[in-house]
Amino acid sequence: MATKQVRYEALVKGLHADLYRYAYWLCHEKQIAEDLVQETFLRAWRALDSLKDEKAAKSWLITILRRENARRFERKRFEMSEYEEATITDTQSLSSEQDIENHWLREKINSLPEEYREPLVLQVIGGFSGEEIANLLSLNKNTVMTRLFRARNQLKDALEEEPEARGTYNG
Amino acid sequence: MDDLQFRRSIYADPHSDNEELAHAKATDPTKKKFAQEIEQLDEKILNALKVPVPEDLSERLILRQTFKSHQQEKKKKRFHLAIAASVAFALGLTVNMMHFSNAYDNVGDYAFAHVAHEAEYFSNNGEANVTLASLNKKMASFNGTFGDKLGELMFADFCRFDGMKSLHLVYKGENSPVNVFIIPKNDHLAFNSDFANSDLQGKTQRFKDANIIVVGDKNEPLQKWQQNIKENVSWSI
Repeated sequence: MATKQVRYEALVKGLHADLYRYAYWLCHEKQIAEDLVQETFLRAWRALDSLKDEKAAKSWLITILRRENARRFERKRFEMSEYEEATITDTQSLSSEQDIENHWLREKINSLPEEYREPLVLQVIGGFSGEEIANLLSLNKNTVMTRLFRARNQLKDALEEEPEARGTYNG
Repeated sequence: MDDLQFRRSIYADPHSDNEELAHAKATDPTKKKFAQEIEQLDEKILNALKVPVPEDLSERLILRQTFKSHQQEKKKKRFHLAIAASVAFALGLTVNMMHFSNAYDNVGDYAFAHVAHEAEYFSNNGEANVTLASLNKKMASFNGTFGDKLGELMFADFCRFDGMKSLHLVYKGENSPVNVFIIPKNDHLAFNSDFANSDLQGKTQRFKDANIIVVGDKNEPLQKWQQNIKENVSWSI
């Protein structure tokens, strides 16, 4: 029991931040992201003995979390259909130049199509290779690479197109 | 590697360690510059994606789990204790049942078993030295009195008749001993007035405070014995 607890704590400490961020970019809400992470780790605890390879832990957790998220959609399909991305607001205070840029870029990332955003998050935050992402999302690798290309391409275009808009955030 | 393919590859994965990409970057300054731009973009994306994680999230996750598993542990212990208690209880019941259960369900079966069990101690040639007084002393606990001994009484004593205190009398019969049981009224043995097996026969009579069973061999005139008992035993009120 002690070793299971130790393994669990190591998993939580090592991976909860990545998992939370991934969850956040899936659902766009802090509270829901936190619930998803809680539920994911709860399930992870129950199935911890089935995790043989610690290196696979991150993709294992991501898979659990994706399933949890899908379940949330099944439960709340009606509510979710009224969901509007435009209403998402990031309530954190904008103190520095960096924060402002992040805030602005976050909105851009949020406005990316879901199918582009998810591989990007998995690659940048999760550090997964194209192949691993393809496995996680049950896509083929070329599709993943194309989506990654489009995601960055759109963000780059957005960055280049909207210097004026960025200025308004500055004051 | 042509420019379009290079750009696509860099866009798709700026940190790729693909050798062709590395070579292209090393040999073409324009490509190198582009790659650096995208790396910078990726840096920004990374910063943007790193939304702040609630500070105490990991502590809460661990705390919740520790608490939960502690409770599960407690439940498990309770469960084990309950199982152990149930097993002990069931075991106790079983032992009890085996010790005190009634293996016979009617007076006839038990009477035969009792007679057969003690057959070796009695023979028709034994001494018949039980007095009427000592018989009646014992009979008093059934509120009955023998007016006469009925016959040659070899043995009279209290016996357990399938767990019930009863009076066991052994008389000399025509060829073999005749056993008379005076047993209290009861529920757990079915009353059968006539019963027999290959060697023995038996009859039961109901009286006020007791039933009286007579068992003898096939040649014994049990009807007569019953008649004698009926006439000789008087029951106090």
